[in-house]
Amino acid sequence: MRTFSFYSLMLVATLVAANAFAHQQKAAITKVLFNPRTTNIEIMHRFYIHDAEHAVKEIIGKQADILSSAQTQQHFADYVASRFVMTDQDGNYLNLKAVGYEVDGQHFWVYQETPQSANLVGLKIQHSALQDIWSQQTNTVNIEGVGDIKTLTFEQNVELLEVTF
Amino acid sequence: MKLKIVTFSLVLIGLLSSISQAAIQQTKGDFEDKFRQLDEVLPTPNVYRNAAGEPGHQYWQQKVDYQIKAKLDEKKRRLEATSRITYQNNSPDTLKYLWVQLDQNKFRNDSMSALTTTFGGIGNRGPATKGAAGDKPAQISIAALRKQQFEDDNELGYQIVKVTDGDDKPLQHTIVGTLMRVDLRTPLKPGKQIAFNVDFGFNIVEEDAVSARSGYEHFPDDPREGGNDIFLLAQWFPRLAAYTDYEAWTNKEFIGRGEFTLEFGDYDVELTVPADHIVSATGSLQNPKEVLTSSQRKRLKQAETADRIVFVVTEEEAKEKEKSATSKMKTWKFKAQNVRDFAWASSRKFIWDARGYQQGGDEQPLVMAMSFYPKEGGDLWKKYSTESIIHTMQVYSRFSFDYPYPVAQSVNGPVGGMEYPMITFNGPRTTLQDDGSRTYSQAEKRFLIGVVIHEVGHIYFPMIVNSDERQWTWMDEGLNSFLDGVAGREWDPSIPWGVEPRDIVDYMKSSTQVPIMTQSDSVLRLGPNAYTKPAAALNILRETILGRDLFDFAFKEYALRWKYKRPTPSDFFRTMEEASGVDLDWFWRGWFYTTDHVDISLDSVYQLRIDTRDPDIDFDRERQYEADKPMSLTDKRNREEGRTLWVDRFPDLKDFYDENDRFTVTNKERNEYQKFLHNLEDWERTAFERAVKEDKNYYVLEFSNKGGLVMPIILQLTFEDGSTEMMRIPAEIWRRTPKAVNKLIVTDKDRVLTSVAVDPHWETADVDVENNYYPRRFIPSRIEAYKSEKSDSKVRRDIMHDINTKVKTEFDDND
Repeated sequence: MRTFSFYSLMLVATLVAANAFAHQQKAAITKVLFNPRTTNIEIMHRFYIHDAEHAVKEIIGKQADILSSAQTQQHFADYVASRFVMTDQDGNYLNLKAVGYEVDGQHFWVYQETPQSANLVGLKIQHSALQDIWSQQTNTVNIEGVGDIKTLTFEQNVELLEVTF
Repeated sequence: MKLKIVTFSLVLIGLLSSISQAAIQQTKGDFEDKFRQLDEVLPTPNVYRNAAGEPGHQYWQQKVDYQIKAKLDEKKRRLEATSRITYQNNSPDTLKYLWVQLDQNKFRNDSMSALTTTFGGIGNRGPATKGAAGDKPAQISIAALRKQQFEDDNELGYQIVKVTDGDDKPLQHTIVGTLMRVDLRTPLKPGKQIAFNVDFGFNIVEEDAVSARSGYEHFPDDPREGGNDIFLLAQWFPRLAAYTDYEAWTNKEFIGRGEFTLEFGDYDVELTVPADHIVSATGSLQNPKEVLTSSQRKRLKQAETADRIVFVVTEEEAKEKEKSATSKMKTWKFKAQNVRDFAWASSRKFIWDARGYQQGGDEQPLVMAMSFYPKEGGDLWKKYSTESIIHTMQVYSRFSFDYPYPVAQSVNGPVGGMEYPMITFNGPRTTLQDDGSRTYSQAEKRFLIGVVIHEVGHIYFPMIVNSDERQWTWMDEGLNSFLDGVAGREWDPSIPWGVEPRDIVDYMKSSTQVPIMTQSDSVLRLGPNAYTKPAAALNILRETILGRDLFDFAFKEYALRWKYKRPTPSDFFRTMEEASGVDLDWFWRGWFYTTDHVDISLDSVYQLRIDTRDPDIDFDRERQYEADKPMSLTDKRNREEGRTLWVDRFPDLKDFYDENDRFTVTNKERNEYQKFLHNLEDWERTAFERAVKEDKNYYVLEFSNKGGLVMPIILQLTFEDGSTEMMRIPAEIWRRTPKAVNKLIVTDKDRVLTSVAVDPHWETADVDVENNYYPRRFIPSRIEAYKSEKSDSKVRRDIMHDINTKVKTEFDDND
């Protein structure tokens, strides 16, 4: 008699580091802003350079250089975009246009945007950037510009979160 | 009958728990006293901790001395040791048993830590797993499998060989997870001491496999057959749990977060390791002649007065040792006075550099700053590790006390960053390139400097100012992150250190914040909660609320009061208030006890003008005011159409009122004015006449507090002539109406206000800058700014490419 139902278990390579010092933060924060001036939904992903630096060496290879190689930066921005998904309340994908990326102090920023649509009453978001590299990665998303700020936290097995306005 | 009793007690519990939430409540209206004193929140002062935040007149703490002899079995990666522990009971209590921490038991597969690690759960320390979600399969990392396999293959946790009393007779002991209760044969009375022995052994964990704070790291590619290891030993011997006046035994199971608090004592430790190993440890080396070569001793002596580092073991010597091994053993003997823990590192791979830090003073004029690292640390370590240690001591001592120990060390191994008395473990490394060279990135360099400053800083807080991280994580991580930010910016302010108020706004406005005053195992987002937010708060307290003089004096007072002692949050809060003379209860309440954020909005500004009461002046002003109103549109278009007015067509219809408008002054008003002046008291008349004469500008600024956290209102006033003026209004302005306040600003007649900015220098962690300006200013989002600056911003120039551009001397027409 089979007692348990079987699911497939996937193996992923991960980096491990124990830190009493929170330098490699393994944390990113994203602002999803309903900007009344541009009437766009602006998506601003903020990563710590130190996280991004270790990550690109996994994603691209040892030669990757997040601080000075435009190629690495573009690659990382594309990677982030591929792991951030937003749909409307009914699950229709919103087409997020790449705006660009930049280094600012200790942070690496990736920008995306999409027009605001009038009948949008909620969002479904998936943000799994860097979680395939180290699953301790915490991605926090603040949704701003529609009433009180709403916060979604993507940790480990959280795949999809939903917010209604 | 029984049932009734049960019901009754339930009611009582319910009542008590609601009382404990808030002893005193505002139950009418919605007024919230943001300045309510913390007296019912803080513990009652007593003879051990007084109301000033100082150790009380009967302050006590236990003392525990250790004599340990340990042997490292490199091949089996096992440690075996005997220890003799002398426990001095300075408390007023009689102790029937002692609690001992057995932190290695955390790694047992039946530990609370292991059993409560959730599959794909949040906040786990160590290798990752990911539960199935939607149509995605569950994930387990290869690292998690490695951990699993390592734990299967190695018996982990302490093996307690014996626990005996001073006469070597067995003592009853009971192991409870990561703790052990040792029952004393006779109760230990106040003022008495007892010695007992614990012999123990354990298999050392592979740090990279289990993600611990210590362990071994294996280097399989080293030339020696079978490779080499670096051993980092911490939490490696049974240590007495702290017995305190505020919590009695701090015997809370170790489940991974929040390291510990411990007792101070003297250590006498003998470490027997392979003869070709170099050992770095808490304490000063007692037998250099037996373990060091004469040239090594000479180099060490030379380092004491050197300007730059001196290699005690060079890279070439270390590389040479990597090739072979010896079966001989050597015993390194260390002594350490007045420390709360003991850690050490051992490897034949270590390069060793040293430089004496001549700090002067009576307590410890010379401190040896030393670094130990394998070739994998390379130039990065040679250049920055020991220098960072010395820089840290210079800055931290200014804020506290002279570094009191003979050595300060930084050791490179598998641990990202950990601190112990006199010794720290730091992780950054160089990267081996295909051509055999070793390089490091800018971020890795920042990481090394940052982590060494941070961990060496921990030798002050909490290794000397002995706070309890398991209870109050922020007391060591927050205070230390604040100071490492100070030290970092004094090293090189162009490196972003991440403790500015602006660095915490995204966390503080999010809805997943928990109060800073949260026990470490329950904190949701440890980095921003226990490190960045308290660090930013203290930064604000220093630069904005108190100013450097008051803050630095009070902070130093806290450090001095609690040097080698055991502070709690209330001791910190009270000391900072007492020593600065500034009521800070509102600040502690807002920043440490709530999840409010800062968002002060300047909603509007309007101008007032004093009525002179003199009808010849006021009526004229009113007439002007009326005339300044825009003309009626209908009237305007009528005129444009050239319509002749009825009253113009028939001038005979005009009368008195066409000559004299409704602002015409008569003697009736003039008499009233004279009567008003006549009836004024002399002092009233003087003030009134002066105000009329000066005719100043009166502006009313309307503020609302959208974030809930009360903070000073910092204003930049800009005037018509382009000049600016700063005005700092203390947070107390919010005390009676915390949601909204108005402020009157009076300026001279020729000082006409044109705009006002709140917090223009981003001092207060205000999360919404857009509502800080009046008139409202267009604050572009990052994306808008990015789009507009893309073309000309200097930081985005490709200097590395552009620097190769040749200077042109001739230009054709297309240039």
